Amino acid sequence: MSSTPVADVGAPDQPEADQTTTRRDNPSQLQAQWSTLVALILPQKWAYFGLSIALTVLALLPLFGPVIIGEVVDRATAGAGAGDLVSLGVLYLSLALAGQAAAACVAWGSTTLAWRTANDLRVQMVEHVLGLDQEFHRNHPPGALIQRIDGDVTSVSDFLGTVVTAVTSAVLILVGIVTILLFIDWRLALAMGGYIAVCGFIAFRFRRGMVNESEGVLSARARLYGGIEERLNASEDLRANGAGPHAMTRFSEDTSFFMDTRMREEGAFIRLWWGLNLGIVICMVASLILGGLMVSAGAITLGTAFILFQYTQQIRRPLDTIVERYETAQKAVSALNRVSKLRAERPTILDLGTTSPPPGPLAVQLDGVSFNYYADEPVLQDITFSLGAGRSLGVVGRSGSGKTTLSRLILRLLETDSGTLALGGVPIADIPMDELRQRVALIPQEVQLYDGSLRDNVTMFGSDAPDEVLERTLTDIGLGHLLDGDGLHRSIFDSDLGLSAGESQLLALARVWVRSPDLVVLDEATARIDPRSEKIVQDTINDLLASRTSIVIAHRLSTLSQVDDIAVFDQGRLVEFGPRKELADRNGGRYAAMLELARADLTDKIDQGDINLDQTPALEGTNEG
Amino acid sequence: MKADNPKTGNPKTGNPKTGNPKTGNPQTDISDRPIIRLAWRVSQEHPFEFWIGFAGFLLFFSIPALSGYLTAQAFEALTGNDIGTLYFIAGALLLAELARLVAFSFGAVSLTKSWTYMRSLMQGNLLHAQLVSGGEDAGPPARSAGDALSRFRDDTNDIVAFIDLWLDAAGGFTFTLISVGIMFQINATATLVAVVPLMLGALVVLVMDGTIKQWRRDDRAATRAVAAMLGDVMAGATAVKVNDATEPVLGRFQHLVDTRRRTAVRDRTLNEAIFQLAFGATDVATALVLVVGAGAIASGEFAFADLVLFLAYLPWLSNFPRQLSRLITRHRQAIVSFEGMEELVAENDPDRVVRQIRLPVVRGRDRRIPFEFGYENTLAQPGDNDHELLVRPERTRVPLERLTVENLTVGYQSAAVNQTTSPIGAPVVSNVSFDVEAGAFVVITGRIGSGKSTLLRTLLGLANEVTVTGSIRWNGEEVVDHGAFFVPPQCAFVSQIPQLLSDSLADNILLGTDPGPDRSDEDLLPVGPPSHPAGGSAGMAPVAGSLATAVRAAAMTDDVAMMPDGLATVVGPRGLRLSGGQRQRVAAARALVQRPELLVVDDLSSALDVATEFELWENVADAGITVLAVSHRPKVLEKADLIVDLG
Repeated sequence: MSSTPVADVGAPDQPEADQTTTRRDNPSQLQAQWSTLVALILPQKWAYFGLSIALTVLALLPLFGPVIIGEVVDRATAGAGAGDLVSLGVLYLSLALAGQAAAACVAWGSTTLAWRTANDLRVQMVEHVLGLDQEFHRNHPPGALIQRIDGDVTSVSDFLGTVVTAVTSAVLILVGIVTILLFIDWRLALAMGGYIAVCGFIAFRFRRGMVNESEGVLSARARLYGGIEERLNASEDLRANGAGPHAMTRFSEDTSFFMDTRMREEGAFIRLWWGLNLGIVICMVASLILGGLMVSAGAITLGTAFILFQYTQQIRRPLDTIVERYETAQKAVSALNRVSKLRAERPTILDLGTTSPPPGPLAVQLDGVSFNYYADEPVLQDITFSLGAGRSLGVVGRSGSGKTTLSRLILRLLETDSGTLALGGVPIADIPMDELRQRVALIPQEVQLYDGSLRDNVTMFGSDAPDEVLERTLTDIGLGHLLDGDGLHRSIFDSDLGLSAGESQLLALARVWVRSPDLVVLDEATARIDPRSEKIVQDTINDLLASRTSIVIAHRLSTLSQVDDIAVFDQGRLVEFGPRKELADRNGGRYAAMLELARADLTDKIDQGDINLDQTPALEGTNEG
Repeated sequence: MKADNPKTGNPKTGNPKTGNPKTGNPQTDISDRPIIRLAWRVSQEHPFEFWIGFAGFLLFFSIPALSGYLTAQAFEALTGNDIGTLYFIAGALLLAELARLVAFSFGAVSLTKSWTYMRSLMQGNLLHAQLVSGGEDAGPPARSAGDALSRFRDDTNDIVAFIDLWLDAAGGFTFTLISVGIMFQINATATLVAVVPLMLGALVVLVMDGTIKQWRRDDRAATRAVAAMLGDVMAGATAVKVNDATEPVLGRFQHLVDTRRRTAVRDRTLNEAIFQLAFGATDVATALVLVVGAGAIASGEFAFADLVLFLAYLPWLSNFPRQLSRLITRHRQAIVSFEGMEELVAENDPDRVVRQIRLPVVRGRDRRIPFEFGYENTLAQPGDNDHELLVRPERTRVPLERLTVENLTVGYQSAAVNQTTSPIGAPVVSNVSFDVEAGAFVVITGRIGSGKSTLLRTLLGLANEVTVTGSIRWNGEEVVDHGAFFVPPQCAFVSQIPQLLSDSLADNILLGTDPGPDRSDEDLLPVGPPSHPAGGSAGMAPVAGSLATAVRAAAMTDDVAMMPDGLATVVGPRGLRLSGGQRQRVAAARALVQRPELLVVDDLSSALDVATEFELWENVADAGITVLAVSHRPKVLEKADLIVDLG
C-alpha cells in the first residue's frame, strides 16, 4: 500500500466545519436531525409523557405566589385582620414546599430518562461506526470519534435532561402569566403577550449566528483535544526525540484557535443577551409607570399593580433560563448536527449476502481481481488463482506489491473493483457479513490491546469461552507466564505485565485460536517476533493452520516452510503461483531465487560465538502495511 | 462532557461567599490539599482580565440592591399617588439596570478570555510534564491517552468552574451585606426570619458533603472507563471487525455506559436537589415574612413599600446560600480534579499544575493563525528569557567518544514481575555491560521478553516504574538524568511502533527543528567531525542533516515521490494515512535529520528490506554515528562491532 497516494485532509475537523456552514439550511439535514431525535425519544415516549405532566404542575405553582401577595396587599389596605393574612402566608408556604418536592422528582426523572436515551444513542453509534469502512477509520482520528460519540452525545443528553425540562417549564410560566393577566385586564395580557413575542423574535433572530459560532467552537475544541490525545499517544517518541517544545507550539496554536472561536461565540451570545435583557428592563420600568397611571386613574388596585410588576420580574427568570440554556441548546443542536452527519455516513461495503459457503475449510478463488484506491494507480491487477479448501498459501513479494491489499480484500475490508473473489465457491459479496466475520480471521502485524483483563483481550470481551480453554491456549502459544497472579483477570495494562510487541502478537494469535475460524489470514503476523521465539511459535501456528485454509503473508521465508502453495507478487501482479515444492525447484523461478538469496544470507559466517541461528534465516520482505 | 464555559453570566446563579478566597471558606480543613491556594494561582494567570471580570460581576450582582431600593421607593410614591416622583424614580431605575447590563458585558468578555487562559495554563503544564524530555519537570507517563484526556478536558474545566463561583460569590456577598443592612433597619424580626431558611439550605449541603464527593468520584471513574473503552475501540475498529467481536464489544460498552448512567444520575440529581433546595428557600422565606409580619402589615407598621423591598431582595438573597452550596460542591470537585491532574506531573506535586508558563510560538510559520483576540501577548517571544521553560532549549552537542554501560540491571518495582525468562521478582535486564568507542555498531538481540526494549527504554529514560542499578557513561562521565541527556543532538530514537502526528510529512520529520538548507545532492552527513554544527539559524538548536538527505537515507524518497504533495503531504490522524512500514521509515528520517551522536533503534526490520537496512547502516557508519539497535537479521548481526545477546 505504499503506492497509495495520500490526500491532504487539512487540519482535523476543519473541512467538516466548513461543510456544515454551507449546508446548514439544507432541509434534509434538518430532517436527519429530527429523525435522530425522534428515534431517540420514541422508545421512551411514555416516560417522557409522564415527565411532561409533572413538569406542567411544577411550572404553574410559582404563578400563584404574586397573586397571593397581591391579595395580602389589598386585604391589608382594606383593613383585614392579622389572622386573615397569616392563613394566606401558610397557603404560600404549602405551595412552596409542594413545588420543592416536585422539583426533586422531576430532576431525578429527567436525568434518568436523558441518560437512558443518550446511552442508547451511544451504543447505536458505536455499532454504526464499527460497521463503517476501513477508509472511514483511516480518515477519522479516534479522538474526534470519541468526541462525537461521547462528548456530542452528552451535549444532546444534557439537552434532553436539563434544557428541555427547564425550557418547557419556562415556556409554561410565560403562558401562565399571560393567562392570569387575561383575567385581570385583557390589555395587560395583550401587552405582556406582545412583549414576550418580541423577545422570542429577538432570540430567534440571533439564533442563527449563535449556532454558527458554537459549531466553530466545537470544531476548535475537537482540534484542541484531538491534538492533545495524539501527542499523548506519541509521548515516548516525542520525549526521546526532544520534541516536547514542538508539540507545545502546536498546542499553543490550537489553543489560540480555540480562543478566537470562543470569543466570537461569546460576542454572539452577548448580543443575544442584550437584546433580551434590555427588553426586560424596559418592560419592568414601563410596568411601574403604567401601573402607577392605572392606579391613580382608579382602574386597578394597588395589589394588582404589584402583581403586574411582579410578573414583569417573573418573566425575567424563564426568559433568562431560555437564554442561559440556549448555550447548552445550541451546543446540543450543533452536536446533533455532527451526530446526524456521522449517522448518515454509509459503508460502501454492504451486507446484502444471503448465501452460506459449505461448512469446513473455505476454498479461495480469485478470478481477474483488480483493485485500486484511486482511479489512476492500480494496486492489484488482474489477479487469478485458486486455493483449495484446507490448503495453505504463502504470499511473498516486495514492498508495495499488493500483499496486504489482497488480505483486506479477502477479509472484505475492501471491495474488489473488478473480477470475482469467491470463498467456498460463493462470491464474497453474497456471503452474509456475520458469517464471513465468524469464519474468516486475520492476524495483523499491529495489535490493538484493550483496557481490560487478559481474558477480555483474548476473547475480545466475549464471555462464552471457558477459562480452562483460554488458559490452555495461552500456555500452548507460549504466553503461559502471563497467567501468574490473577490469571486471566489481570489487567492488560498492569505495569507488571509489560507486554512486549512480540507478546502482543502472540496474543493476537490466541484471539484467533479460540475462535476456530475456517480461513486464517496472517499478515506478517510474526514480523515482530525474533527468529528464536518464532521457531517456538511456528509449531503452534502450524497446529492452528492444520485443519483450515490459510494465507500466510510472509516476513521470513522460514515462516513458509510448511505451506502447500506459494504466490509471488510483484507490483500488483501475480507473477508466480504453484505448489511450494515445485516452485522451489523451478529453474529461474522467482521463488527459487528468493530461497537462494536466503540461503546465501544464512551461510554468511557469524563469528560471535553466542549467536547460534539453528534455523532457516530470514528473507526479509518489506512490510507495506 | 461538561459545558465548556462556566460563565457567560447567569444572573440567577450568581452567588456569595466571601470575595477573598483566602478567608472565609470554612471547608478548607476537610482536605489537606491547598486547593484554594492552587486555584488562586490559576486565577491570577491573567490578572488584568480576571480583575476586570471580577469588577464587572461584582457590579452585576450588587446593583440589584440599588434597584430593589428604587422599586420600593416607586411603590411608596405610588401609594402616595405622587406620579411626578414615580417618573423620576423609574428613570433612575432604568439607569441602574442599564449599568448592570454594561457591567455584565465587560465582565463576560474578559472572563471568557480569562477562563481560556486558565485552562491552557493547566493544560500547558500537564502537557509539558507529559512530553518534556527528562529533567525535573517530567511527569509519570499517562496510563492511557484517553484516560489522560479527561484530565485535560474535564478536570481543568472543574477548576475554572470553581474559580467562576468566587466571582459570583463575591457579588452575592456584597449584595447580601448591603441588603441585609437595609432590611434590618426596616424590620429586624422579619429579616431574621427570612434569613434562617436561606442559611438552613447551606447547612444541609454541608452534611451531605462526603456523599457529594464520593458520588462525583464514582462518576468520574465511570466516565473514564467509558472514554478508555471508546478510545481503544475507535483506534482498533478493524481489529474488532476481523475478530468478529462487534457484539461482545457492544455488550461491554453497554455495561460501561449503564454503570455511568447510574453514577451520573445520582451525581446530577443530588446536585440539582441541592440547587433547588436553596432556590425554594426563597419561597419559604417569603412565606415566613408574610406569616411573621402579618400583624405588622395589618397594623400598617410594616408598610407596603417595605414589603416590596423585602420581596425584591429575597430572590437575590437566596443566591447567597445557593452559591455557597455550589461553592462547597465545586470545592469538592476541584479537590478530585487536582488529585487527577497531579497524577500526570512530576512528584505528583499539584503546584506543578499551576506553575506560570508561557506557551511557545514560532513566528512566521505558515500554520500560525492570526490572533484576533489578544492571545498573542501570552506567548513566548523570541528572546523572551523570563519564560523559556517551554521553548526548545539549545542543547550543546557533546561529541561521543566512548559509551559505557556498566552492570546495568533493570527490574520492575513491584514484586509480581512477570517476564518470560524471569522468575517472579527477578530483573528483566540483568548485569549488562559493554564499552564501545564512537562509531561502533552495537546490535542487541534476544528472544521475546528478554528485555531488549526495556534495555533501550532504560537507557533513554523512558522506562517507568523500574528500578535501575548500574551506570551508563558518556565519555566516562555518568549520565544521571537519562531522559534529559539522551535527546538530540546527543541521541535520537526510532521506536518499535512509531507514533506520528496529524501534520505534514516534513513537520513529522523535523519536529520543530530548522530544516537547514536543502542539500539533497550531498551525503547523509556532509560535514566533517560530528561536533561541527551543520548550520541552523539564530535561536535554533544546531541542526542536523538536511531534510532531503535524511529522507533519502531512511529509504523514503520513493514513497515521498508518490505522494500528491511530497513532503508537504498531511499524514492524517496519528499518521494513519501512511502504511506501517512508511511510518517506521518516517521515524527513521526523523531521527537521522537530527544527525545524532548516538542513534537508538528498536527493530527496523519490518520497515526496510534487508538490502535497504544494510545500506542505511552503511550510511550511518560512514557518518561516524554510534548505533545501538535491536535486530535479528543475520546480515546486520554480521556487521555488528558488538552483539549484546539477552538470551
